[in-house]
Amino acid sequence: MALIDAYTQNLTARQVSHLLRRAAFGATLAQVKELTGKTPAFIIQKLLATQPTPTNPTDENQQTFHDLVWGGPNTTDATRNNFDGVRRGRLKLWWIGLMVTQPVSLLEKTTLFWQNHFVSTSTDVSDVRFLYRQNQLLRKYALGNFRDFVIEITKDPAMLQYLNGASNVVGKPNENYGRELMELFTIGRGNYTEDDVKAAARVLTGWRSLNFRSTTAATIGFEFRTAQHDTTDKVFSDSYQKRTIKGRTGTTAGDDELKDLIDMILAQPETARFIVRKFYRWFVQADISAQIEKDFIEPLAAIFRKNYDIKITLETLFKSQHFYDETLYGSQIKSPMDLVVGTLRSFNYQLPDPVKDRTKYDAATNYFFGRLKEQQMDIIDQPSVFGWRPYYDTDFYEIWINSTTLALRGAWTDYVVKGATGTAVDINSLGIPLITSTPTDPYKMVRELTDSLLEFPLTDDQIIYLVEQPLMAGSPYYEWTTIWTDYTKSPNDTMKKSAAKTRLDRLITFILRLAEYQMG
Amino acid sequence: MKRRDFIQYTSASFFLPLILDGFEAKAHTQATTPFMRAMLDVADANDNILVVIQLAGGNDGLNMVLPLDQYSLYSSASFRGNIAIPENKILKLTDTPQTGLHPSMTGLQRLYGEGKLSIVHSAGYPNPSFSHFRASDIWFTAVDSDKLSTSGWLGRYITDRYPGFPDSYPSTANPDPLAIQISSISATVFNTPSITSAVAIQDPDTFAKIVGDKPNISPSPLPNTVGGKYTTFIRQQQTSSFAYAGQLKTAAGKGKNFATYPANNALADQLKIVSRLIHGGLQTKIYYVTLGGFDTHSDQVSATDNSTGNHATLMQKLSEGVTAFMDDLKAQGTQDKVVGMTFSEFGRRAVSNGSKGTDHGWASPLFVFGNAVKTQIIGKNPDLKTLKDNNITLQTDFRQVYAAILKDWMGASEQSVKSILLDQTFTPAPIFKNTKVLANENETPLTDLNIYPNPAQVETIIESDAFAKNNTEVMVTDAYGRSFNTNPTRLSRTQVRLNVSNMPTGKYFVKVDTGSEPLVKALMVLR
Repeated sequence: MALIDAYTQNLTARQVSHLLRRAAFGATLAQVKELTGKTPAFIIQKLLATQPTPTNPTDENQQTFHDLVWGGPNTTDATRNNFDGVRRGRLKLWWIGLMVTQPVSLLEKTTLFWQNHFVSTSTDVSDVRFLYRQNQLLRKYALGNFRDFVIEITKDPAMLQYLNGASNVVGKPNENYGRELMELFTIGRGNYTEDDVKAAARVLTGWRSLNFRSTTAATIGFEFRTAQHDTTDKVFSDSYQKRTIKGRTGTTAGDDELKDLIDMILAQPETARFIVRKFYRWFVQADISAQIEKDFIEPLAAIFRKNYDIKITLETLFKSQHFYDETLYGSQIKSPMDLVVGTLRSFNYQLPDPVKDRTKYDAATNYFFGRLKEQQMDIIDQPSVFGWRPYYDTDFYEIWINSTTLALRGAWTDYVVKGATGTAVDINSLGIPLITSTPTDPYKMVRELTDSLLEFPLTDDQIIYLVEQPLMAGSPYYEWTTIWTDYTKSPNDTMKKSAAKTRLDRLITFILRLAEYQMG
Repeated sequence: MKRRDFIQYTSASFFLPLILDGFEAKAHTQATTPFMRAMLDVADANDNILVVIQLAGGNDGLNMVLPLDQYSLYSSASFRGNIAIPENKILKLTDTPQTGLHPSMTGLQRLYGEGKLSIVHSAGYPNPSFSHFRASDIWFTAVDSDKLSTSGWLGRYITDRYPGFPDSYPSTANPDPLAIQISSISATVFNTPSITSAVAIQDPDTFAKIVGDKPNISPSPLPNTVGGKYTTFIRQQQTSSFAYAGQLKTAAGKGKNFATYPANNALADQLKIVSRLIHGGLQTKIYYVTLGGFDTHSDQVSATDNSTGNHATLMQKLSEGVTAFMDDLKAQGTQDKVVGMTFSEFGRRAVSNGSKGTDHGWASPLFVFGNAVKTQIIGKNPDLKTLKDNNITLQTDFRQVYAAILKDWMGASEQSVKSILLDQTFTPAPIFKNTKVLANENETPLTDLNIYPNPAQVETIIESDAFAKNNTEVMVTDAYGRSFNTNPTRLSRTQVRLNVSNMPTGKYFVKVDTGSEPLVKALMVLR
């Protein structure tokens, strides 16, 4: 039985929760219930279903801004700058909104993967039109063809700005993009030489973006300038079998050489491995043992390499026996996005409508953004071109956690349970026992609740503790039955309602503060 | 006896009542007598603080520390004419005509003139990596460029110096975090085999508040899986956050800033917190701060003036941040016990690119600052005629700087330094030593007293120029003035060996009679 073979049994509730946490920032308790008993193949078809194109981001007056001149229609550079800054913020909020409201779909989490792969930060690019255009490209190719994706991202106007491709010219080349293309975007460090970086930079000379921060032209794009292109031959090292990319002239030279370059890099087996390892660390876990390398990464990389089809590769990953390996439950520490978006989704949060309830929509997405940022996951603004450190650096996901961020995580889950009208956050704790099979039995209720909220089951001692302490605060456990029954008989009795709600809120607050809840 | 027991023991027996009773009141006044100074030295002996400033992205050192002796090559069109700093704007350094500083660094120029800044030329390591990630990791972990380590050099220092870390900390004797990073993300540099050794904080005022009253831990056996391992890690973090929150709150409440820090300067904001915590009495050994934005592939200078632009702003932030910090320490009276160092994962290409920027390079200068600095120039200007692939070549291995910090500043033994630097021996860069050559025999040498190893177990070596004279005497006394026989043996013109094997664990004073003012220094004996 190979690790990569398909797991074909019907999934339990815990398995469904696990899959949806990893593929889609979690799902409501009701959605989990609905998909329990289905096969991975069935659920993955749902996850891979084509999603409608989202509506464009808009400002508080419902006006789009990706189709205006930079910072327009203002008159001074200072006000334009401020306007663009606000709009770039709105782009982030728009995307967070999509993640919160997404159906059961792989699209958003994969798009975020690619934004963290082909990093171009909002702060550095500083033109919202470029960033929005790139976001559309990431969505288009998120589950598409990797070869086409790399070619398009190389010419993407935001990327041309971010990694200085736009100032890479014959004679005095700028190596920035050529290096990161190899080190971060395709083949990985150790599989090329410094001279290969220089040769790649020369292949890529001549491209530039159009109308970057233009105050007169609304249309943006890119172009190839034949005069700025290095037309000499580019010779690569042994790492690329001493390949020569023939220097070309004329208007198609840039595209022709770019295709040669990407094909040369993608022909190396290491490229597929490098990307598959990165998928693995995003969707499965960080620790790639020699056995996992051999029995999972290698065969999955072979599938990826066939046609560089991202969709087939991820489908295989989520269907695999290995993905459902019991020892891999909880093998990630939740990213801030998993924690913020995932907690909202678990409790069936309804984001206010951006058209009908704009004020609340803005307040809510803005609040969620603030929490993500303070927990060190500012989307479209990674600390460096490497992306977020927990996906590549020593200790991996543990990097998300330290004294400060752990405290902030606790403050966030406390907030969710407490609720706030301004952001429409309300977990409706009195409805939660109803999702469980026996609301009058506190042990069964806490067991079922923690089974769906946590990646691995708590011990019986922990369940007893949760019932005795946070739920009952020292009163005998059987009083819960009375409290719950009294409330359901007279749901409008303030005293009885409050007795049940206080205890449930305390219980859920405590569960979400457990170290175990940080595992995804 | 374990190290922390030793500290508890000495504190309880005589150290606290004798010295620390009046210490807080006296710490901000100048000690006048040699004895008083020695006593304060003792109080501070184990109390030296290191501040590390990471300049993330790869700093263009050649536009920070400028080779005035090679200006025409430096500024030629085929070299870096498009980003060269105009000669008349380069800041001059006292008694150092061949080297200048970036025009934005007037603050550091002043510190240099005051003898508080040391420039280590062309620091790096052989076979350089040009990847940000890999190069940073090499600096964090202090490995050779073809080796890997998951623990950081500062993490290994903490583990070496505080046995039982992390399980036995905080303790009564060490209630404060051993290292603090002003940030929200822990750096690899503090990694130890188990957990990070630094507490990361963003804002000491709100830290205690967000941490809350007590952790929600419902202890239970955990599965032997990755998930179980992560749960243990998070529980550990929960526990230590709560343990340290109170101490941080107290120190932040007590500490004050006495200098004005520049606005819109992320580095200054962080150093301001560090200074306040030091003043608040936190016994933390290491602080770590970061300034980013150094990856200047393009437009590192402005379109119209090469002395302004993105890199100039960074130079200004560094200079003004450090200067305000030093002024603050001076005003609070802690300037003698703090030393800072800067580093960046690599320098940039000596020859610029066509977009008014520089690509990734090799060796680059770094700064060490503080009153303890003695040699102000380590090495010489890079030779721009002998580049390797357009890169500045190596003069000082960065681990020689680490060795100097560990041994000469933090007081780690040679053995510890070697183990912290992964069993390799690096000669400490003479940053904290006087390397001034005497002009003639009549010139009085700057007397100094070195004791190593210190703490000592069996033997220790006392090194001083004073021994070169006749009739020098070495006396070893405890805090009550009782003297001990240490069988001094002369090893060389300037070295004397002492035998301390019969002395109980504790703190002692070594006094060397020079005929005029005696030299006094603390010696610790450890069993």
